[in-house]
Amino acid sequence: MTVNGRRRGALEQEVLSSLAAAGRPLTVADVLADLGHGLAYTTVLTALTRLHAKGALRREPSGRAFAYSLADDPTAMGASITARRMARLLEAGHDRAGVLARFVADLSPEDERLLAGLLADGRARDGELEQ
Amino acid sequence: MVVPLAVSALLGATAPWLGRRLPPATTVRLLTVAMVGVALASGFVLAVAGTLVVGQIPVVAAEGRWSARALASGLPVPLAVGGVAAVAVAGLLLAALRRAALVGRDLVRAARTCRRLGPDVDGLVVIEDDDPDAYALPGLGGRVVVSTAMLRALPAAERRALLAHEAAHLAHRHHLWVQAASVAAAANPLLGPVARTVATAVERWADEVAAAEVDDRALVARALARAGLARTGARRRSRPLALAGADHAVADRARALLAGPPPRRRALAGALAALLLVVATAVLVTGVDTETRFEAAESVYAAGH
Repeated sequence: MTVNGRRRGALEQEVLSSLAAAGRPLTVADVLADLGHGLAYTTVLTALTRLHAKGALRREPSGRAFAYSLADDPTAMGASITARRMARLLEAGHDRAGVLARFVADLSPEDERLLAGLLADGRARDGELEQ
Repeated sequence: MVVPLAVSALLGATAPWLGRRLPPATTVRLLTVAMVGVALASGFVLAVAGTLVVGQIPVVAAEGRWSARALASGLPVPLAVGGVAAVAVAGLLLAALRRAALVGRDLVRAARTCRRLGPDVDGLVVIEDDDPDAYALPGLGGRVVVSTAMLRALPAAERRALLAHEAAHLAHRHHLWVQAASVAAAANPLLGPVARTVATAVERWADEVAAAEVDDRALVARALARAGLARTGARRRSRPLALAGADHAVADRARALLAGPPPRRRALAGALAALLLVVATAVLVTGVDTETRFEAAESVYAAGH
């Protein structure tokens, strides 16, 4: 069930995120290329097939393979409105109860510079490794 | 009697320092347990101090069948202090109850939202939104909500780090720790800085879980940096005014990830546990002492009637 130290269900989430980020139908090979090294073709195919079976994805023939995209869910728009309204509700005022755990908070200008520097450093190091 | 209050002040003063030194999971567990224990202990000693003074009011003494004069003799609490304690304990109890009600209300709201968000993939809900955002929401086993803008902002490896971070919040029920700490801080305002330390440490804890899962600390730091920059950039475009609530939390988390795995610090954790034992002992002594005092006052009353 687990792939490369991933927790249960993590690969399906990554595959779904990949398709959502791309915003266009992707084949197994496309998803594999996006998710990068360490995964087998059949592993990604299995995840896509499982997501399709759950109804989270739809697929259309693309050459000899299938291209997958997010199932056009009629409630998808409703979900984003629900999410936005709730986020506003749970964050209103200083009386927040700590229910909503956000990945990143807003940055100060100083931190923006610092973190941009961190990303630039990473790129410089990757460049060195490639040479 | 002052031990729980002194320890509250000590915890409040040292919490940020402790949060930087202890591993985040230890910080969250140990400090929250300490907060709840110390908040109960300080509530108890304030209640005792208040009772000893209120017990001297003749009507109350007559009703309780104890001697007001015997109770007052050699009292460890000055009258005025006891009066203030009685008022304070009532106020703080109300504050804690109000906070707990607030937490309950928001938990219900979160659970209701989880239900309305519709279909999920192993807890993940992707929403169509140009604002880069990602968060975990408890309820119905929890949901991780990520906007398409956030997914587009990150490369696949960093998306994996983000998903691992949010899943860790839900798997370890981080909201319960944060909420217990916030209720304890409402019951004892001296613990306010400790509650903030717990809230910060929860994010660090999820970062550490994510770093272990993707087996790359620098990758999680880069995900934080890119997600933070994307979110702040988008918000500045939509609202060109100064951003509210900006602190150094994200940069501190990235720095901590790049600094390497946190050391265990068993001695420091042990010292904190010992401090809690001192508080428990102080509460026990106060309890026994007060009971003895009332029993003595009751026997004086019985002898006089």
